[in-house]
Amino acid sequence: MTRTARSGRRLAAIAATVAVLATAACSAPVQNKGDDGASGGATSMLIAADNGSPTFDRNFNPYSSGKRNTTTYMYEPLVIINEMSGEETPWLATGYEQPDARTVVFTIRDGVTWSDGEPLTAEDVKYSFDLVKKHPEMDLKGAWSHLESVEVDGTTVVAHLQTENVPAAKILAQQLIVPEHIWAEVEDPVTWTNEEPVGSGPYTLGEFTPNQYTLKKNPTYWQADKVAVEELVQPAANSELDIVNNGYDWAYAFMSDIEDTWVKADPENNTYWFPAGAPISLIPNMTKAPYDDVDFRKGIALALDKQVIADKAEQGYVDRASQTGLMLPNQEKVLDTSIPNQGYVDQDVDAALASFEKAGYTKKGDKLVDSAGKPLKINITTPNGWSDWLQGVEQVKSQLTAIGIDVTVVQPQPAAYQKELRTGDFDMIMGTVGGSGQPFQDYNGLMGSEFLLPVGKTAAGNFGRFESKQADDLLAQLKVTTDEAEQLELTHQLEQITYEQLPMIALFYGGSWGLFSNKNFTGWPSADDPYASPKTWDSTPLLILTHLEPAQG
Amino acid sequence: MRYALRKLGLLVLTLWAAVTLNFVIPRLMPGSPADAAIAKLAQNGPVTPSVQAAIEAQLGMPGGSIWDQYVAYLNNVIHLDFGVSYTFFPQQVSELVAGALPWTLIMVGAVTVIAFVLGTLIGIGAAWKRGTWMDSLPTVGGSFLSAFPYFWTALLIVFFLGYVLGWFPTSGAYSATAVPNLSWEFLGDVLYHAALPAATILLTSLGGWILGMRNTMINTLGDDYVTFAEANGLRGRTVAIRYAARNAILPNLTGFGMALGGVVGGSLLVEQVFAYPGVGYLLFNAVTNQDFPLMQALFLMITVSVLLANFLVEILYGVLDPRTRR
Repeated sequence: MTRTARSGRRLAAIAATVAVLATAACSAPVQNKGDDGASGGATSMLIAADNGSPTFDRNFNPYSSGKRNTTTYMYEPLVIINEMSGEETPWLATGYEQPDARTVVFTIRDGVTWSDGEPLTAEDVKYSFDLVKKHPEMDLKGAWSHLESVEVDGTTVVAHLQTENVPAAKILAQQLIVPEHIWAEVEDPVTWTNEEPVGSGPYTLGEFTPNQYTLKKNPTYWQADKVAVEELVQPAANSELDIVNNGYDWAYAFMSDIEDTWVKADPENNTYWFPAGAPISLIPNMTKAPYDDVDFRKGIALALDKQVIADKAEQGYVDRASQTGLMLPNQEKVLDTSIPNQGYVDQDVDAALASFEKAGYTKKGDKLVDSAGKPLKINITTPNGWSDWLQGVEQVKSQLTAIGIDVTVVQPQPAAYQKELRTGDFDMIMGTVGGSGQPFQDYNGLMGSEFLLPVGKTAAGNFGRFESKQADDLLAQLKVTTDEAEQLELTHQLEQITYEQLPMIALFYGGSWGLFSNKNFTGWPSADDPYASPKTWDSTPLLILTHLEPAQG
Repeated sequence: MRYALRKLGLLVLTLWAAVTLNFVIPRLMPGSPADAAIAKLAQNGPVTPSVQAAIEAQLGMPGGSIWDQYVAYLNNVIHLDFGVSYTFFPQQVSELVAGALPWTLIMVGAVTVIAFVLGTLIGIGAAWKRGTWMDSLPTVGGSFLSAFPYFWTALLIVFFLGYVLGWFPTSGAYSATAVPNLSWEFLGDVLYHAALPAATILLTSLGGWILGMRNTMINTLGDDYVTFAEANGLRGRTVAIRYAARNAILPNLTGFGMALGGVVGGSLLVEQVFAYPGVGYLLFNAVTNQDFPLMQALFLMITVSVLLANFLVEILYGVLDPRTRR
């Protein structure tokens, strides 16, 4: 070895030591700088509405699946639908009419401008529909599976539907509207990331870095007087510890032991609301025995204590779900009161055993066996890593084991789970059903023959492959009637079918995890005033952002 | 020279095998990218049929037969074109990797070099002064620290130094409002943010280097030529460094080559805990989202750099140890 090589190595060692010392020294003087983003003053709000993974891509294309969550604070729909209750709030349209079951007429609001000062017109609305027709990849609401054509008539937009289809109005109403004068010049709108968004919403993009971005109030917004928050600050990192420690105003997060974490951080101001979302259910595969037997499905439903399952899965934050498929209590208005106990199925082991017996399974020793004496075995599929669902399934397993059924829990990776769900490759599988708050959409997705495909083919709905002529007839009628009383009556009948035929076994409500602070702003949605879901994506946050008021004192 | 050529031939063969495996393995995973994207959305509530259709159209599926895909893939690999990421649609894979790589190279790379140099030096010292406190302290301390899993150390550090004491930032590579530039202020900010993840990796990896070096060195110190050198009255330091350490360092050097090659893979768990925007985090996203293009690019980058680093170490071996050249 030569001398220079040796001294070189020694030099490297010295350099390395210096580097370590320098790192240590550097950290001292900037100790107090912190990373906590905004101060959360009276006009600014710190939110955890969007999560970097770990940093933000600058994508504000409202039709892109990879868009920033807050894109919908800048681009607005015609009507906002509160999916918890089905309630509608006219937005860019002042309202809509359905002169017949194949036509929807939207009246476009006057005096709305884009954030660059150009007026928003009916032409922009038509353009937005035509854009997603040309690029089906961007048709996230599925408008063109119902639409035939769209035309402008003065300040109204007339949508012609392919068939008589009354519920389609609510789908079309949720279409996000973009400015034609900007988008017409974009070469490929599908991959365009729209870095400088021009929208009609209450906020425009402020400063953007991969670690944090801000949204500034749009001073020319058409209801600017209702927007109290001047600035929204959205950091990329919002771990549970960040949310508890850094004084967030609004966060969407599932947090263990909420009273001792989020509430304890600021007991005077921090509140939470976890309303019921779509029912999380066991979906039986109704193409094979014994799951195709309604008595068998009833037996399963009767064997389970769903509140215990809910408490295990979601730490007592949500309640058991009604077997009607409705989200109670928010959907109480459409509930058929003739259904006993609001559709909640209580645990009743004797009734369960009787029902299993009708399905051909009898108790032998401590096992349920079929006529040939073979013990009953069930596989339940749930995605790997979704720990709350798994906790629920483990509880299902122990309750079914107690009644004498052999249960195996299968946990494929989420992508594989999704594939098995859609292709019908399961005995019973965990899944969410419904949840849009619109009876036609929810029941159609649960039982509609429209989605019915043989096992092995990739379905988009009706994953349990439920077949019922009666349900189909009701859905067909519900699709074409404009009479509200008749709609309600048909919805009641669909609830009864779901309750009696059990196309799914409802377990518990998926929660929406809203954390709010009343320190700077008040008027958050709550159980007393459930005007919007606490979720931070899609269009319902617009209801919240136009509802907040500065805190008093 | 023939030695180097032989090694080069082997390198090309392993490269081809790695590239091909890299093509095959992601395709053996069950479920499609669209399934993964929908499953991710489904965690927040039900996904309507129309959203499913739009996502499938947006992400598309690799077209053509497997063979066509393979040929197209080889062609793209040669041109370093990996296409568009599924997870971060519509971003280019090459842009994503280019964005993450510097952070990993700076943080993980520097720490790996520091840990190797520091660990090897301490190991030499420990072996030379074996039986004294200079031996027992680093040996016991090193094995204690390296027995901790990475992420556990990381969690402890982030909780106590980051949240309880608030001395260090808990996430990111630089402050939320900073804009990357070449100023001293920004550089300080970067070092400040890198401190905790770097300390985690240093603490957990140092022990391995110390123990490895110390144990081989103690063996070497028992050899006749070392005794001979000492008997000749050479200075202690000369014997330790030029006679014993030069021979004892070979296994550690192999380890270093591997570690250096592995640097580009980032440090998945540590980057996760500290939300550090490096390659490890990117890889995690790619795998959990069935993002074939991104996964292929990352795995390829990792295998190629491990192979290259090993190749270089083998060449270096030839220089350091004449026996291997035969």
